[in-house]
Amino acid sequence: MTVPLRLGAGFVLALIYGFILLPLVVVIASSLTAGELMQFPPQGLSLRWFARFFADEALMQALVLSLRVAAVTTVAVTVIGTMAALAHRALSGWARQWLRTGLLLPLLLPELLTSIGLLFFLYRIGLGKTLIGLQIAHAVVTLPFAFVSIAAALDQLDPALEDASNSLGASGWDTFRHIVLPLVRGGIVTGALFAFVTSFDMFTVSFLLKPIGGNTLPLALFDYLSYDYDPTAAAAAAVSVVLAIAGVVVIEKLVGLRNL
Amino acid sequence: MTEVRIAGLRKSFGGQPALVDVALEAAPGEMITLLGPSGCGKTTTLRCVAGFLAPDGGDILVDGRSILDVPLRRRDFGVVFQNYALFPHMTVTQNVAYGLRVRRIGAAEIASRVAASLAEVGLTGLGDRLPRTLSGGQQQRVALARALVIHPRLLLLDEPLANLDAQLRQEMRALIRAVQRRQGITAFYVTHDQAEAMASSDRVAVMERGRVAQFATPREIYQRPVSRYVAAFTGEASALAVTLRAAHAPDRYTVGLGDAQMEVPGAAGLSPGSRHFLMVRPQAVTFGPSGIPATVREVAFFGATQQGEVELAGQALRFVTDPNERVVAGETVHVTLDPAHAWLMPEAAA
Repeated sequence: MTVPLRLGAGFVLALIYGFILLPLVVVIASSLTAGELMQFPPQGLSLRWFARFFADEALMQALVLSLRVAAVTTVAVTVIGTMAALAHRALSGWARQWLRTGLLLPLLLPELLTSIGLLFFLYRIGLGKTLIGLQIAHAVVTLPFAFVSIAAALDQLDPALEDASNSLGASGWDTFRHIVLPLVRGGIVTGALFAFVTSFDMFTVSFLLKPIGGNTLPLALFDYLSYDYDPTAAAAAAVSVVLAIAGVVVIEKLVGLRNL
Repeated sequence: MTEVRIAGLRKSFGGQPALVDVALEAAPGEMITLLGPSGCGKTTTLRCVAGFLAPDGGDILVDGRSILDVPLRRRDFGVVFQNYALFPHMTVTQNVAYGLRVRRIGAAEIASRVAASLAEVGLTGLGDRLPRTLSGGQQQRVALARALVIHPRLLLLDEPLANLDAQLRQEMRALIRAVQRRQGITAFYVTHDQAEAMASSDRVAVMERGRVAQFATPREIYQRPVSRYVAAFTGEASALAVTLRAAHAPDRYTVGLGDAQMEVPGAAGLSPGSRHFLMVRPQAVTFGPSGIPATVREVAFFGATQQGEVELAGQALRFVTDPNERVVAGETVHVTLDPAHAWLMPEAAA
């Protein structure tokens, strides 16, 4: 590559990073303001809005609920997504296509449509406006993310490895545990991460299906911003970002992101 | 020691027949090679025996018992794959130990058997390495050790040397043969390389479009092929259409080629008057003062030999001669054929 071309590529890369990261920088910076208004650049430096956020009972309850829903969603969707991806690998022809399309449907349909459908369905089976109902909804909407990521990892797996394992006397479970699972672990972790993040900041679905008296963090922030325009909201957003980064760092330590 | 009998094996993929009617057998301790071009059904046959595929019809008997109902993991066959199929996240030792580990064998026994197996293939000291840090030849040795450590009833090798360079190929071929002989394991070996098939098997099955074209010792396959297809697959050969004039013994005939006549060995039971293909190896051809007149079409110098083609009674005939012999393209020569390197094949000619 010639030097001008390399410089051009670097410039484009910087532009993309800037475009993605700038909002984060603005939000985190304005959460650190000492002033009364959410503004950028911040006026002075203070952690008072973080203190305000952690002292706000409604926001705290919402944060706990969001984390809980996201955690349960992640576990459920990772297990179901792995099983679905294994079934997808084992099938062929029409059945395979239909399974894939069916599982990806929540991703293709507008979220609002899915939410209204789920609303009718959950009321019909008596789970309307309940935590379990919300939990089911989150699982349905995040399942495609986990499925796609795990199925892609399975596609990379050489079928000869499973043949080799079976011919050496391994049972189906042995082969899954000792060969398949370690080799697609990256895809499973990525899928779980996607499921967690998607569930954690899901708005439309939660808005329509939230349990009576319960609020997730995005809903609570929405409510909050409708009345107050102070930097507490920015502090809440900053906390979310820090949580996400912490999650990625933990995964990097556990499995190594380069394997993903 | 295991005996194998395959009868009437059939398999198609989406209506496309891959195996039409495959019959083979292996005596205890025999090494059987399945030889043929890609798509001839040799790998499909092996995968049916291994249990990766279920045949549509026919049977596979191991020591007199059908194995079609035996699940893959209970067959106790060692399989060596073309791309090695080593578990990339396990060390050499873990790879080799895997078959014993899933059999819930004690750690002490696993350790000693793995060590013995690695020693057998010459990999002692590399046990802690990951497969990707090994050379291709070393990886194939690991694959061999992994297949042997379970004391398989049958060893199945699917083009085990295809990804290795020529030098290494010879070395590995000798190793596989030595281990197979030493342990007396019955083995099936799939390859498309005739030299590999000739040098390291007790019997060769040449396969053609889902059938076994010929199943015999390497010597017989080479010297007495049943068809032009088999002759061409076992080495350079010309096929001349000749008319059978008379039969002397059950397997000796007088044939007419143009105006000339000659006596050649051939397949038993051919009837006078019919036309067949005479297989002629290039080394059967000599030029001299007398013989059948032919025109030299091309000649090329190869150092140790010179090789080329003559036109004899309107048909092409390959030859190989001493490099110092004077052979010039376009000139007329007189050809003599050594019957020891010729064979009248049962395949009928027009």
